[in-house]
Amino acid sequence: MMMIPGPFLHRLFLACLLFVSALSSCKRESNADAAFYYWKQTLTLNKAQHQVLDEVAAGKLYLRFFDIKWDDHAGKAHPEAIISFKEPVNTTKLTPVVFITNQTFEKLSLAGVDSLAMQSNTLLQHLAQAQKINYQSVQFDCDWSLGTKDKYFQFLKSFKAISKKQLEATIRLHQVKYQVKTGIPPVDRGILMFYNMGKLSPKPEDPNSIYNPKDAATYISYLPKYGLPLDIALPLFSWSVHIRNGEIIQVYGKIGKKELSNTENFQPAADKNVYKALRSFFTGGVYVKTDDLFKLEETDKALLEQAAIQLAEHLNKKEHKTIIYYEIGNLNISTFKTKDFEEISAHF
Amino acid sequence: MAKEYTPFFYSDFSTYYTKDYTYRDDNTNTRYNDQIVKEWHDYFGQQLGKKDLEYLLLKTSAKGIDSVYQNFQGKIKVLPDSMPQLKTLKLDKKQVNSFFEYLSLAKSAEDFSAKYQEYYGWDEKPNYAAPKSMELSLLTAFQKTKDPFIKQRLWFQLVRYYYFLERSTGVKPVKDSQLIKAFDTYKDTFPKNMIYYRTLGYVAGRHYLAKDYATSNYLFSLCYNYASEMKIPAKWAFHPNEEADWKQSLAMAKSKEEKITLWHLLGIYFDTERAIPEIIALDPKSEKLDLLLSRVVNITESSRSGYWGGKEDSTKTLRANTALVSGIALKNNTSKPYFWNLAAGYLNFMNKNYAQAAKFYQAAKTQLPKDNALIMAQYKILDWGLYIRQLKKIDAKAEAKMVEPLNWFARLKEGKDTIPDLRFYQSLNESLGVISSLYKKQGDPVKANIFSNYHEFYTNNQNIESLKSLMQKSNQSPFEKAMLHYYPYKLEDLYFFQATVLVYQERLDEAIAFLAKSNRAGTMLLGNPFNMRMNDCHDCDHQMAQSKKFSSMSMLKMMKNLKDELTAGRNVYNNANLLANAYYNITHYGNARAFYESELTDSYSSYAMGIPAPFRPMLLSGKIAEKYYLIAREATKSKEQKARCTFMASKCERNESYNRSYELPENKNAGYWSVKTDPVYFGRYFSVLRQQYADTRFYQEALNECGYFRKYASKTR
Repeated sequence: MMMIPGPFLHRLFLACLLFVSALSSCKRESNADAAFYYWKQTLTLNKAQHQVLDEVAAGKLYLRFFDIKWDDHAGKAHPEAIISFKEPVNTTKLTPVVFITNQTFEKLSLAGVDSLAMQSNTLLQHLAQAQKINYQSVQFDCDWSLGTKDKYFQFLKSFKAISKKQLEATIRLHQVKYQVKTGIPPVDRGILMFYNMGKLSPKPEDPNSIYNPKDAATYISYLPKYGLPLDIALPLFSWSVHIRNGEIIQVYGKIGKKELSNTENFQPAADKNVYKALRSFFTGGVYVKTDDLFKLEETDKALLEQAAIQLAEHLNKKEHKTIIYYEIGNLNISTFKTKDFEEISAHF
Repeated sequence: MAKEYTPFFYSDFSTYYTKDYTYRDDNTNTRYNDQIVKEWHDYFGQQLGKKDLEYLLLKTSAKGIDSVYQNFQGKIKVLPDSMPQLKTLKLDKKQVNSFFEYLSLAKSAEDFSAKYQEYYGWDEKPNYAAPKSMELSLLTAFQKTKDPFIKQRLWFQLVRYYYFLERSTGVKPVKDSQLIKAFDTYKDTFPKNMIYYRTLGYVAGRHYLAKDYATSNYLFSLCYNYASEMKIPAKWAFHPNEEADWKQSLAMAKSKEEKITLWHLLGIYFDTERAIPEIIALDPKSEKLDLLLSRVVNITESSRSGYWGGKEDSTKTLRANTALVSGIALKNNTSKPYFWNLAAGYLNFMNKNYAQAAKFYQAAKTQLPKDNALIMAQYKILDWGLYIRQLKKIDAKAEAKMVEPLNWFARLKEGKDTIPDLRFYQSLNESLGVISSLYKKQGDPVKANIFSNYHEFYTNNQNIESLKSLMQKSNQSPFEKAMLHYYPYKLEDLYFFQATVLVYQERLDEAIAFLAKSNRAGTMLLGNPFNMRMNDCHDCDHQMAQSKKFSSMSMLKMMKNLKDELTAGRNVYNNANLLANAYYNITHYGNARAFYESELTDSYSSYAMGIPAPFRPMLLSGKIAEKYYLIAREATKSKEQKARCTFMASKCERNESYNRSYELPENKNAGYWSVKTDPVYFGRYFSVLRQQYADTRFYQEALNECGYFRKYASKTR
């Protein structure tokens, strides 16, 4: 993989900023709302997170209710990681989100699709009623493929007919680029996931897989032609990729710069943001072996701003849209401030 | 090797693997059943049978227990025969009363502790909470009973009850735990038996809930060490979180043996290579090294040949583990030094240090337990693998040396001899491959093919003849006899193959003679091989009513007649046409694949690329059919017939274009799903049809039936 030299990137970035700020005087105000995802299993927000949710998004929350996975043992689809509410939901602006693994539709028969839609709707209603949540739309997140397209789309149609709600579906970049092949889901709005665009790679030298402009560039020119109105999901997360003998073992949100900067355990490797384990030890329930590599892939304000600028250029500014930040449950308040979100959303 | 680890095969879906061990065995609460029954059997001085106890302890409901007890007390006169009849036995009445009192409590405790069933989140989550009210009943019974056997079991019930209670009502600090209090107060009054360690398991679990992993892991390691039944639950729960708590666990260990157990657990779960030297330093004779040694070998093997082929840095793992195991083997101070020598030899063998490997095997040989057939056989397999790997060429001396092991393997392979739990197929097959390629290199295709069958061998008839005469030789040498155990086919299979070749060479007389010597003369063909349709449709041909069914032999005889007639110049159009149809149908594209399909040619394939390349020219080519269609066309005056022959020739032409694609260099490694074909849809015969026969009825029929032709005709209009 070719590396773009640092200073060049930096200059490019500055140039972009100057370009945008020069234009901003004669540009209309942003036409975008902000919102947050919440993806953890137990809903509990600390005071600072509540404050950000209110200030930045006026309480607008996309809450993951459950995942649907395939159980090979039982030979059926079942919900996992069902949300539990540790505190009352004090927002009226809440959209339930359901994540479905693509494997579910690989394994499920076409005949089983309708009853899955029925079960999902019942569970969703049940969970919402218990919390007195009144929702208007439901969002589905599934990285469907050519082989599962028909079943997933049938699921969406069926769910719509049963629930009579507005439906939204997440859209991956490759689904934008190859929309003729992959099809457009039968929903009211799409949410473009503008992250995880690169391949998660065990090679230390490969770029950040969460966002990098080079991978993004191969997709975004197709955006104006996409057949659904789009909201945008942007990343706030960082993670580290655990590599042993050239293979990815796992990805962790909980091992970050702080842990990797501990010089008793790690030393920086030749490539940027890569750390090498100096000994074998446990940390946070993870076992690290001598010579294991950790590749830190971070999102910070500068990266997010770069992503926003690159993306906004290909979107119609007149269309109202929601920018959903992923996600607030693990948000590090010291990295992102209310002002940062306002500045980023203003690009759209 | 400890019994619970045997026979010691690696699988990635279960923890301790025996032949009959399945995934489900890892996750079951039946593991203590035998022990429980035995303990109560002893309690009743063997007067209450195991069957009855199984029924009462493990099978029946609270209601069933009640009926049996009421019968014992005389309140119910008659019980069904299937239920235990305790009245008839000489039992201590006091013991029976205590037993039933205990049993009724234990049964109701199962609701929250042992009834777990898989549930699917679509439904309401089942409630496994321990009922508040039960605490008093358990405590009262515990205080009341004087019987130490029952008292210890009630203690277990109480601790387990608190575990589920405290888990469901929110985890408080350990110091406020009723569970810990109940355990600590009485722990020294009971023997350290299985029920003691099962109770301890809940204490460990309570520390786990409180996130005190150091204590939890230490206590679990004690359970792991106590009995094989406890190994899996303890292993599952073993979970160091930070290096600091792991070090604390080690510091809690009160003896060398306890430290070793902790390292052993770390070794099977996280880091075998780190654990082994630690255990060696504590006690090189420890039995807990054995499982880890096998893990090191498994890890090294799988690092080399992952499912998707070799992994990066694999040599690093191999080199490191070879050094580790060799070092320990050389010190020669473990309890089973031959295991270490065998493993060191094998790792050196994988590392291609053959001389080194030989030294370790040699050392092992003198230490092996001669009465252990499994280990002796394992040694023999390793030694054989090394010998074969080191051979540069195979001469008479080497062949003589191979006779004994080849016969030994053959007896195992053919099931004439068995060594329980021995696995040998992979090593044997790999060694046969090595032998075969050596013979190939030495220019001895017959022996090469006997050891590892390869398709190119059969493209040379001289090879087949040599093989046949070797198989029929009356004075075979001991080596030849041993070797022929490994050739998978019989003489008849070779005759059949030769017959097929002769048919495609149009030597029908000879083909018939060879077919007669094979066992395939009677193979019934599914469709009539002399019929032809415009669009190939095997299923249609196979289902069509057939007044005469053809076998391979009757087809060949008919073909011979047709050819004889043709040669004599009689009824040329008809005879050539029928012969062409037959030659078309015995290719892959025709309706009579059953004629050529065989294991030897590996040609049971529903797509052309699936037929091995050496046989493709023979089984795919439509050239003979095309030739006879042209002869038929030449022989007829009828324009309709001429048009028909031309069309049939076009089918051969198109098939031929597919065949050419399969042999293109870019398709060398392609599969049927990725092969790039460049078919000739509109060949020269279409153009002849269009130019010369456009006025025939057949022409209209072809337009209707054949999409390719319709397209062609509309394009060239």
